[in-house]
Amino acid sequence: MSNYFYVSPEQLTKDRAEFAQKGIARGRSLVAALYDVGVLLVAENPSASLNKISEIYDRIAFAGVGKYNEFDRLREAGIRWADGTGFTYSREDVDARALANYYAQHLGDMFTEGQKPLEVEILVAQLGNKIRPTKLYRIAYEGTISDESRFAVLGGDAETIRSRFAATEEVIHPLRETLRNAVDALAGPERTIATPELEVGILEDRGARRTFLRLSDDQVSELLR
Amino acid sequence: MGLPLYDAHSDPGPSFYQYAQTAGLNAAVSASSGLSAHATTVIAVRYDQGVVMVGDRQATGNYIASRDVRKIEPADRFTAIAISGTAARGIEFIRMAQLSFEHYEKMTDSALSLEGKANYLSPIVQRNNLSSPLIVIPLLAGWDPSHQVGRIFEYDGAGGCYERFDFATIGSGTPFAESALRLGFRTDLDREAALELGALALYEAGDNDPSTGGPDFVRNIYPMMVTITSEGFQELDNDDVAARFRAINERRTQSGGVAGGTLR
Repeated sequence: MSNYFYVSPEQLTKDRAEFAQKGIARGRSLVAALYDVGVLLVAENPSASLNKISEIYDRIAFAGVGKYNEFDRLREAGIRWADGTGFTYSREDVDARALANYYAQHLGDMFTEGQKPLEVEILVAQLGNKIRPTKLYRIAYEGTISDESRFAVLGGDAETIRSRFAATEEVIHPLRETLRNAVDALAGPERTIATPELEVGILEDRGARRTFLRLSDDQVSELLR
Repeated sequence: MGLPLYDAHSDPGPSFYQYAQTAGLNAAVSASSGLSAHATTVIAVRYDQGVVMVGDRQATGNYIASRDVRKIEPADRFTAIAISGTAARGIEFIRMAQLSFEHYEKMTDSALSLEGKANYLSPIVQRNNLSSPLIVIPLLAGWDPSHQVGRIFEYDGAGGCYERFDFATIGSGTPFAESALRLGFRTDLDREAALELGALALYEAGDNDPSTGGPDFVRNIYPMMVTITSEGFQELDNDDVAARFRAINERRTQSGGVAGGTLR
């Protein structure tokens, strides 16, 4: 029989949390915020094809930071879950809260029982309608879920970015201002982020069933001008 | 339904059909005694700006079950799917196709090509029709944005997919509709001429095939007419369709119930 050294649950949890935090801190951050008629998701992302922001369903979007392969698998599972639920029941039965809870359970399970915790932080955004509220569900690496009614910041430098953004977002602005403030908060006072390094998606009613729209570099430049 | 996470080796990829099979979302297909009615006529005609589709509205069993069925549906912005055969399976088929195209787009962040969509449906048709008497035969037509052309794909009962460069029909009214199309089709049809020919071919089918519903002037229900172009899927409004069928009906009345020597 091999020898196992005793490790207290406190120590184990602390080690795992540190490990996950370190992994997440290596990547760039992301801001999600409500604007007057929709939800904005902005990520600093040097890659034009490896997305951090994605459509999940008619009124639901996904965003992730940290290890790409880990949050991308969660994104795919979310799309499958949403399409499967809508196919089995009805499109209006697909609820972001239910999906956020599944994510939270999975991340919680991986944190306590997995080989290693997932090095990700994810966000499920829902654009409200007559039967559901507009909500941002933020799910941390250990499965903690929080519902934010105005904005959420994900990633390594979240606290600093959060305080910068909060200072400018005392009221809900139109898209242009919200985007400008989010990009300024992500960049900080000493830095500017070039448009191709921004990934921007919105949820907004445009008369069609699907509300998600990925903004092109040109659209983003135009909004930031 | 839990969170559908898969290992890399068992991942169903961006195919919703594959995922639905894995997760058991599909109804089990098995042979049972059932009646397979092909009662329908749907026509697709290619013209210079895209494709025109015309479909009757009647659901037929031993009697007329419904007079206002929609047999042509948009599968996405640039694609239309029509069905003939068993209604229940046809509706499920359309739902599966619509969802699959959207699912693929969300999973991969890029839309399937039109040919990709056509091929994707083949095994679904095959699996349904070879394991059940509840036959479904679809017809796919769309605007191909990468080639800037309208395209039509038809299927045989075993799921074989064939591109048609002129026109295609499905359902029990096929022989009558096809005859009219063969006489009237030209490669340089414009929108108006294609709509006119499609309506005429459907009128013929409705006239001769007991399971195809022609224009119903009493109830003001007319065949569905749609165009699929670079502008996407567009359905003609009821008044427009009514006027077209009234005109044909008027001419037929004048010439004693036949076309009267010219295709009109």
